[in-house]
Amino acid sequence: MTADSSEVPTGTADAGTAVDLTADAQVAAAEVPAVLVAQSMGQYLRTWWQQVRSGNSGVLPVILAIVIVAVVFEIVTPEHAFLRPSNLVYIFGLSTVYMVLAMAATLVLLLGELDLSIGAVALVGGVVAFKLVQQPGPGWPWWAAMLAALAVCGVIGALQGTLVARLKIPAFVVTLGGYLLFSGILIVVLGGADGSVNLNTSVANQRVIYNMVQGLLVPVVGWAALAVVVVAAGTALWLRAAARRRQGLVAPPAGLTAIRIALVALVGIAVVEICSINRGTSLVKVEGVPWIIPIVLLVLGAWTLVLQRTRFGRYVYAIGGNPEAARRAGVSVAAIRTWCFALCSATAGLGGILLGSFFFGEYSTNTADAGQLVLYAVAAAVIGGVSLFGGRGKAVHGVLGGLLIGAIAYGVSLLNLGELATPLEYIVPGGVLLAAVLVDVLSRRGSVTRV
Amino acid sequence: MSDLPVTADPGETPAGTADATMVVDLTADAKVAAADIPPELVAQSLGQYLRAWWLRVRGGDSGVLPVVLGIVVVAVAFQIANSKFLSSQNLVNLFEQSTVYMVLAMAEIFALLLAEIDLSVGLVMGLGSVVVAELVQPTGANFPWWAAIITALLACSACGAIQGWLVARLRMPSFIVTLGGLLILEGVAIIVLGGTLVSIGNSRFTNEVVLYKIFWGHFSPVVGWILLAVLVGAAGAGFWLRDVRKRRAGLETPPPSLTALKIVLMAAAGIALVAICNVNRAHFGTIEGVPYIIPIVLVVLAAWTVLLQRTRFGRYVYAIGGNPEAARRAGVRLASVRIWGFVLAGLTAGIAGVLFASWQVDITTNIIKESNSYVLLAIAAAVIGGTSLFGGRGRTIHGVLGGLVIGAIYNGLFLLGVQAQWIDVAVAGVLLAAAVVDVLSRRSASSTA
Repeated sequence: MTADSSEVPTGTADAGTAVDLTADAQVAAAEVPAVLVAQSMGQYLRTWWQQVRSGNSGVLPVILAIVIVAVVFEIVTPEHAFLRPSNLVYIFGLSTVYMVLAMAATLVLLLGELDLSIGAVALVGGVVAFKLVQQPGPGWPWWAAMLAALAVCGVIGALQGTLVARLKIPAFVVTLGGYLLFSGILIVVLGGADGSVNLNTSVANQRVIYNMVQGLLVPVVGWAALAVVVVAAGTALWLRAAARRRQGLVAPPAGLTAIRIALVALVGIAVVEICSINRGTSLVKVEGVPWIIPIVLLVLGAWTLVLQRTRFGRYVYAIGGNPEAARRAGVSVAAIRTWCFALCSATAGLGGILLGSFFFGEYSTNTADAGQLVLYAVAAAVIGGVSLFGGRGKAVHGVLGGLLIGAIAYGVSLLNLGELATPLEYIVPGGVLLAAVLVDVLSRRGSVTRV
Repeated sequence: MSDLPVTADPGETPAGTADATMVVDLTADAKVAAADIPPELVAQSLGQYLRAWWLRVRGGDSGVLPVVLGIVVVAVAFQIANSKFLSSQNLVNLFEQSTVYMVLAMAEIFALLLAEIDLSVGLVMGLGSVVVAELVQPTGANFPWWAAIITALLACSACGAIQGWLVARLRMPSFIVTLGGLLILEGVAIIVLGGTLVSIGNSRFTNEVVLYKIFWGHFSPVVGWILLAVLVGAAGAGFWLRDVRKRRAGLETPPPSLTALKIVLMAAAGIALVAICNVNRAHFGTIEGVPYIIPIVLVVLAAWTVLLQRTRFGRYVYAIGGNPEAARRAGVRLASVRIWGFVLAGLTAGIAGVLFASWQVDITTNIIKESNSYVLLAIAAAVIGGTSLFGGRGRTIHGVLGGLVIGAIYNGLFLLGVQAQWIDVAVAGVLLAAAVVDVLSRRSASSTA
C-alpha cells in the first residue's frame, strides 16, 4: 500500500478488477513463451516440453486424442472399416461443418462469452442461401446468395452482440432466446413444419453450392493445388522467419522452420494421397480431394490472420484475458464484442450452407437439430483447446476439435450398437463436452498454481 | 469513482490484495441492501405502509407487481381477441397446462438464486417422467405408485447432486455442466424408455390410474369448497397469529389492517378459483371440481417458500447469490449449499416430471426430446416472475406467477390458431424482454440507492 491512497482505486466500483489483474499477471508470466528465447533446436524442444508440463500444451492433447480415437475405432469397428479411404473422406466432409461452427464458437469463446444460437443461426444461413438460388424463385447467382446469407447471419449476430455488449444482458440468456427465436423463424422461412428446400443439381448455379462439400477435385488438380499451397505456405513461413532473424528479432531456429514446412507438406501429401485413392468401384470411379478441404483451409487461414496478426485480434485476446484492463488501455470493448458476435454468426452461416451441401443439397426441418449442432460446436472448440474462460485459443483449435468430434460421431455410428445407437448420439458428445471442460478447468488451475 | 470515502488508515482497507474483487461486490451489495431494507417495516399504519410500498416500487424493487400486471394485460388482450379465453372451461385448461411450467420454474429458481443456471431441468423432468412411468408397468418393475414416484424423485435428485458437485467442487461453469448433463440425460432417458413408448393410460391397473389421476383427476365441488375453507382458515390464522405474536414481542410488524387485507385477498382469489373450477366444463356429461394439481402446486410452493424464507439454508442461498465471497467469509460452506441447491432443483424437476408423465400419459422418444424445450420456458417463467438472473433476488411465488404468464401466452396464442413456431418466437421475445427488464431494474436499483 502506498501512502498516497488517491493513486490506488481502493474500494471503488472498479476494484473488482484488481484481482483479475493480479491473477492475469500470474498467468501472463507463465505464458511468456520460453520458446522465444530459445536459439537452438535442443533448447527449443526443452522449453516446449516445459511449457507442456506446466499445462500450456497447445494442440498436443487434441492431436493425441485424434490418434487414439482413430486407433481405437479402427480396432473396434466391424471389419476394421474406420480407416478406409471412403470413411476418412466422409469424416472430413462431416467434420468440416463442426470445424466451421467451432471456429465460429471460438470467436465468441475468446471473449469469455458463449453463443448458444450458433446452431439455429447456421440453419437460418443455410436456408436463406438455398432459398435465394431457387429457380423458379429469386434465382440469385450462388455467390450473391451466399453473401446475402452471411450478411443476414452477421446482422443477427450484431443484434445479439449489442444486447450483450451494450445492455450487459448475460450472453447465454440472449443467445438462448436467440436460439428459440431463430429456430421458430427458420421454420417460418422454410414454409411450415414440413417445409423443405432442395438444390437442383442440373442447374450450374445451384450445383456450385451443392459441390462445396460433395464436389471433388480431379486427383491431378489435387496434387497441383497441394504443391501450390505447400510452396506458398513454406515460402511465407521461411521468409518471415528469415526477415525476423535479419532484423535481430526473436525468431525460432531455422531447423524448426524447416521441420514445420516438412510437416505441412507431409500432412498435405497424406491427405491428398488418401483422397486420390479410388473409393468407388472399378466402373464408377470416385476419387480426388473434396472441395471442402481447401474451403476450410481458407476459412482457417482467414481467421488465423485476423486473430493473430491484426489489431482487432489482439483486442479480442485482451478483452478475453481481462476486459477491465482492456477498457483502461483504451479498447472499445463494446464495439469489439459486438463485432465478434457478428463475425461468429456470419461464420456459423457459412457452416449452415456447408451443412446443407453435406446433406446432398437438401434442407428440411429434420436436416439437423440446432441444439445439438451448437453443443457439438462448443464441444469441438473446447476439446480443441479453446478456453471457456476467454483469452485462450486459436482458430486451428476449432478445426482440430471439429475433426475429433466428427471422428467420434462417425465412429460411433459405424459400430453395430442396435438399441444403444440413439442414446449414444447424445451421451457421447455430452460426455466429451464435460471431459473437455474438466480438462480446461484443471489445466487453468494447474497453470496458475505452478507460477 | 466511488462516493465512499477512502479511509486514512489504509490498513483497514484490503486494497490491491487478491481479494479486492470482493470489495466491489461488497460495496455494490451494500447499496442494494440499503435499497432493500423494506420501508414498510417501519410503517405503522396502512397509509404509511402503502406509501412506503409505492416508494419501493418506484425505486425498481417492484416485487410481484409487474408480473401480476402482466397477467392482467395478457388476459385482457386475449379475451378481446377471443372471447373463449376467459371461459371457465379454458381457464381450468390454462391452470392445468401452466402447472408444469410453474413447478419447473420453481426448480430453476434454486439455481438462479445461487447465481447459477441449470439448463438440464427440462430433461431431468423428462427422465423423471420416464422413470415413474416405467416403474409402474405391470409387465415390468410393477412398483406401487408411491414407490415409483419416490424412486423417480431420488433419481432426479441424484442428477442434481452430480451436476451440483461438478459445479460446486470443481468450479466448472454451471451452464456448461448442465448443457453436457442434459445431453447425457437425454441418452439415459432414451435407454430407460427402452422401446419407443411407455403408457400409464391403462385403466385396469390401479397404480397407473393413480398416476393418471394426479394431473387429470379432480375433487368433487363440495370437497373443493371444504378444502378452500380449511386452507384459508389455516393460512389466515397462521398469518394473524404470527403478526400478533410479533407485535406482542415488540418486533416490527405490518399493521393489523394489512394482515386482514392480505387474508381477504387470499380468500377472494381462492373463492374465485374454486368457483371457476366448479363450473361444469364438459361438452357432454359433467366435469367439474378443482383439479388435484392445484393443491399439489400450492404444497410445493408453500414448502419451498418456507424453506427459502424461514430456514437457515434459505438465508445461505440468498447470501451466496448476493455475494459468494461475503457468504464464505461469514462461514457459509459454499460448496455444500450449492450442491443442495442443485439437488433441490433436481428434486423439484422430478416433481414436474411426475406431473408431466401424468399429463402426457404416453411417453415416447419425441416427448423426451420435447421435454428439453421446457427449460427455456422455465427460465423465462422464473425471470418474468421477477427472479433475477444474477442471483440473490427472487422467490418461489415468482415461478408460479411467471408460469401462469407462459401458460396464458401458449394457451391464448393456441386459441387464436397461431402456429407453434410463432408461439416459440413469442416466448423467446418475452424471455428477452424479461431479461432486459431484470438488467435495467437492477441497474436502476443500484443507482437510486
